[in-house]
Amino acid sequence: MTEQISPEILHETIDRLPTSREIHPAVPKTEDEIIPLWRQRLTIFSHNKLAVASVIFLFIVTASCYLVPWLHPTNQTNQAATFGIPWNQSPSWAHPLGTDSSGFDELGRIFYGGEYSLTLGFLSGFITIVIGTVYGMISGFMAGFTDTVMMRILDAFLSIPYLFLLITLISIFGRSTAFLIGIIGFSLWWGNARIIRGDALLIRNLEYSQAATAMGAGKMHIIRRHVFPNSISNIVTVATFSVADAILFLSALGFLGLGIQTPQTDWGTMLQAGSVQIQNGYWWEVFPLATIFILVVVSINYIGDALRDAFEVRLIER
Amino acid sequence: MLNYILRRIAQSALVLLIVVFVTFSLPYFQTNGILAPAYAVLGTHATPHNLAIWAHQNGMDQPFLVRFWHYLTQLIFHFNLGHSYKQNMSVMGVIALYVPRTLWLALSALILTLIISLPLGIIQASRRNTVFDYTATGTAFILYAMPSFLLCMLALDAFSFHTLHLPSSPPSGVAPWAIFTDPVGFILPVGCLTLLSVAGVSRFMRGTILETLVQDYVRTAKAKGCSSRRVLFRHAFRNALGPIITILGLYVPSLFGGALIIESVFNYGGLGIQTVFAATNSDVPIVLGITLLVAIFTLAGNLLADIALGLVNPRIRIEGNSR
Repeated sequence: MTEQISPEILHETIDRLPTSREIHPAVPKTEDEIIPLWRQRLTIFSHNKLAVASVIFLFIVTASCYLVPWLHPTNQTNQAATFGIPWNQSPSWAHPLGTDSSGFDELGRIFYGGEYSLTLGFLSGFITIVIGTVYGMISGFMAGFTDTVMMRILDAFLSIPYLFLLITLISIFGRSTAFLIGIIGFSLWWGNARIIRGDALLIRNLEYSQAATAMGAGKMHIIRRHVFPNSISNIVTVATFSVADAILFLSALGFLGLGIQTPQTDWGTMLQAGSVQIQNGYWWEVFPLATIFILVVVSINYIGDALRDAFEVRLIER
Repeated sequence: MLNYILRRIAQSALVLLIVVFVTFSLPYFQTNGILAPAYAVLGTHATPHNLAIWAHQNGMDQPFLVRFWHYLTQLIFHFNLGHSYKQNMSVMGVIALYVPRTLWLALSALILTLIISLPLGIIQASRRNTVFDYTATGTAFILYAMPSFLLCMLALDAFSFHTLHLPSSPPSGVAPWAIFTDPVGFILPVGCLTLLSVAGVSRFMRGTILETLVQDYVRTAKAKGCSSRRVLFRHAFRNALGPIITILGLYVPSLFGGALIIESVFNYGGLGIQTVFAATNSDVPIVLGITLLVAIFTLAGNLLADIALGLVNPRIRIEGNSR
């Protein structure tokens, strides 16, 4: 025999249960206050302290990489002008992080190399997400035979390790800065396309898309108004991770001697040159830069994680 | 199941054909077109006459489709991938010489990764938000964000130059199974490769177990009075195996990519070093052959993962049968 619960008690219990408004601080407190979606997302994001710290850190590093070489230029390219400056000099007032194995000021070089690493990372990350989104959307939305063909082509490229593809493309197209951006962008978008295609395929088959089709909406309309806005969370998250990946792959290329061409430099090339010197005890050529590099990549990844949370629909009340 | 496997093999063959087509047509985009390797072989001062002779000898004067057809038939019927431009060896010879070395390296790292990261992920998930979990997750995050060569260089500095004095380079000039006869030389490279992949796999393992722990069947098992150990291993772990197997199949290419960096740092003559050397010297046949081979390995890995997935997950097995 189950005990009958009176409706009054039931309603009281339900009323006492925490609502989604109480569970998450980002959700509006009063009934009639309508907060735009983007502000709710921003609030959820800003409640993640580490993510906010990551954004601030990334902003400071990026800003100083672009501004410092311009405000306080140090010689980073002219080997002849380093005559008289000792190589591998330990930190001093004149050179706060010492000099590297060519006599260039290490601190200035971190900013100088960062300008290239970050520019290439952001631009090629952007390329991967644009191509990946377009390809994934078309493939997922068309479905059927087109989808199969497009996915097999994707499989073919995904079966070649990114690094092998990068090296092959660089050996063919050379490695001027513009080509490097294009090559890294072109080599890394395949995974993104697969994720976004999965999203598009899912949303295309959801009720609201079908309803729109039934009401006579065209394909472009459904992609623009339904599929794209609803997969934007994955697109933004994937884009963030792509930037981190692009920076990492650029550094791997720098290690193999296929990165930015001298006299320009990037963080990977610098880390390679510096890591050869750790055995000699020249710590200032590796550890400061390594710390900044790792923190930059970690914070980009962390921002990606926090963005995924911010776009989590279950936390948002419409 | 058999039907499903056959269909997957057919798909993989199609994907391989695309790989061959793409890699074969890539050299046509070089600055000097398909004749770029001729300059690498004959030197920059080669006369047009010399170039023409070289092109004729290597069949470069034939149209694209004829060359492609020739390459394909040679590959399928004779297992012939051509001859290296730079080394006096056939591509098959180079592959036979270097593949076992990379394979042993990658395989031992893969096995060690599994042994370490599966328990690690389970412990992290079952002790979520403890000091141990935070430490492990933080370490994984940092390792994940670190350029792989930097980790290798730091490991070399710490364990080869300052303490322990491990060999800085594995024995290269001997048989590929040197990993069994002289394992000391492989501690650093295999260790670094393992550490790098543990960072990714354990993080994924933790996430997957956490996802299964909130499922209804886990709650049912708990409600029925199963011990938490039983719930973790019989219910959560078994169901988390599926995604893990898939990710392992997808991990094959990044294992080869990682091996490329490891081989360069530890100066171990394997597939990776050969690729870098061949690509920077426009030794096209070697690059084509190695790319194709790695693609075969990756596709085989994915195929095995799918078959294993069918074996551990009855739902997929039945679905495959009904198709």
